Amino acid sequence: MTARGIRVVARQEFTIRIRAGRWRWLLGVWFVLLLLVTALLKLSVDNIDTGDAQNKGVVVYGGLTLLVLGLALLVVPTLGAQSVNGDRERGTLATLQVTRLTAGDIALGKFVAAWGTSLAFLVLMLPLVGYCMFLGGVPLLRVLAVTGVLALLLGTVAALALCLSSLLARTTTSGVLAYLVVFALTIGTLVLFGLGAALTRENYTQVTTCPTEQQLIEQGVPEADRPSIVQSCAASSSFQSSRTRTDRIWWLLAPNPFVVLADAAPQLPPETAAEKSTRLANEARGISRTNLRQADPLGALGRTVRRLRSKPNSDGLLEAVLVGKGHKAVWPWGLGFDVALGAGALWLTARRLRTPSRDLPRGQRVA
Amino acid sequence: MTAQGVVAQGVKRRFGAVEAVRGIDLTAAPGEVTALVGPNGAGKTTLLLVLATLLVPDAGQVTVAGFDPVTQADEVRARMGWAPDVFGLYDNLTCREYLVFCGEAMQMAATKARTRATELLEVASLTEQADQPVHTLSRGQKQRLGLARALVHEPEVLILDEPASGLDPRSRVDLRVLLRRLASAGTAVLVSSHLLGDLEELADRVVFVDRGTTVGEHRIDQLPTNAAPRPWRLRSLDVPVLLAALQRTGYDHDAPTPAGVDVRLTGDEAAAALIAGLVRDGVPVVSCHPLGGQLEATYLELTQ
Repeated sequence: MTARGIRVVARQEFTIRIRAGRWRWLLGVWFVLLLLVTALLKLSVDNIDTGDAQNKGVVVYGGLTLLVLGLALLVVPTLGAQSVNGDRERGTLATLQVTRLTAGDIALGKFVAAWGTSLAFLVLMLPLVGYCMFLGGVPLLRVLAVTGVLALLLGTVAALALCLSSLLARTTTSGVLAYLVVFALTIGTLVLFGLGAALTRENYTQVTTCPTEQQLIEQGVPEADRPSIVQSCAASSSFQSSRTRTDRIWWLLAPNPFVVLADAAPQLPPETAAEKSTRLANEARGISRTNLRQADPLGALGRTVRRLRSKPNSDGLLEAVLVGKGHKAVWPWGLGFDVALGAGALWLTARRLRTPSRDLPRGQRVA
Repeated sequence: MTAQGVVAQGVKRRFGAVEAVRGIDLTAAPGEVTALVGPNGAGKTTLLLVLATLLVPDAGQVTVAGFDPVTQADEVRARMGWAPDVFGLYDNLTCREYLVFCGEAMQMAATKARTRATELLEVASLTEQADQPVHTLSRGQKQRLGLARALVHEPEVLILDEPASGLDPRSRVDLRVLLRRLASAGTAVLVSSHLLGDLEELADRVVFVDRGTTVGEHRIDQLPTNAAPRPWRLRSLDVPVLLAALQRTGYDHDAPTPAGVDVRLTGDEAAAALIAGLVRDGVPVVSCHPLGGQLEATYLELTQ
């Protein structure tokens, strides 16, 4: 396997793809769609009575990236799902295999072409990302991280689709299966997590101990109130309750591309002193306004899955909340799993392309 | 020093329950055109796939250009050109782009691949179509482009699966001339084909296969003469008189067609005797010639 061989195959695949499809139309429609979504998000943000108008870009950006991921997951499977078995059907694969290109050259060249095509869809998103940054509140680091993770996720899906096309003889079968794989990663993980959560329900005993005088002082309870509290709580009480232990099955959710993307997005920088004082001043006057920082779709989803990963302590509360530590990140596991899956798929594809071949799948012709 | 050209001994290959090849022996020497002949499903294509480094045989020894296609596939690929019975071309490339790509896939430098492409377009008489996309080519032109692809790296061994099927007569003659030229330059050419008339003028040697085994291997000028009756075609100015004469003398003949009347005769002596008899009876005979070549006769006998 050489860089040159991969390049020869990839360039060839690119040329064929560009000439075969109506790319200008497809990419044009794609861009118009993203433009519409951005405009709608902007309009709805404008309609919210916000306390932090300088963060409008955060919500628009979050909505846009999640939507791009969703749409790309619909487009990318088709980019690789007929790459190998389609070539077999047309008889062009065998003529490639008898050249001095290795199976690895062919597999990686095809992958680079499929991935590269999918990245074109991401590139079209960048002008709108620039607009979001202009709207405000979107740090550059977040844009870099999210774009990188999006690219890796699309690569994973492209690799899986390519692998299916090398495993199955029929292009329609591999196409359908590629969508099923995407479905499994997105909806499937969610369903499994939901079912798993029911299985992790457990009963536990929550013990409430009466606060000591010292604890009440520490909590800042006024002196006059302390005797009544101590009186009403005559003895330590315990009661039975039940809870789901999502900390045992959070990993079921981890490979979900949306989870990976949202959790990998770096959290927003902390509120500045000026922002905080404005917010507190408003709250003091009884004005409650939506905080766009809290409405950040990426941050909210990320925080949710991190909370699901946290272990409850004996009181049934989340340990991390009590200890005051940040929750542990979920995305390194999810992204690691997805990328490993993609790499495995590429390895398998190269194996399936190796010739001379010993056994063939049923109904498959060599040439 | 292992043998050059193609040497295959006892090649076997099965696909599931189907035994496609069950012991084919074949040699194709450098400087010669070897024809591989046999009915559909005799295992020709499977054997060629083994030689072309695409299939692992279940048993048997194979060398192509002196190397083992299973363990030394890359060495074989550097020296072997293969054109399958399907075109296997990319419709959206031009002929020139396609040949340049094939050259680069054979590890040629880009400039070398471009000059080679120009040469090959000439060889394949596709210079006029050089910058047309492949899907606009005729069947014959596609076939020639596929052949040009197989020649891109000037192989020592050329393996062609049904290269002439679907070609018009002119293209078939051109193909014949090209393959003879390659052979005289020292290439070992192995061709599978059903066009026995063409092969008779093209091949030096012929290997007959049937039901997965080799049933005969002969030099084309030393085909075994057989004693079985063969069809001869008679033409006469007066067909009813001819038919009457044939019936009188007890010859078994087919129904007359515009092309003539066919009778089954054993050997040239029998034909000479028939003509003499007809002329004596005053039948106006115009011609009498054997149908099909010697190759066809041998083929029909070996592959019953």
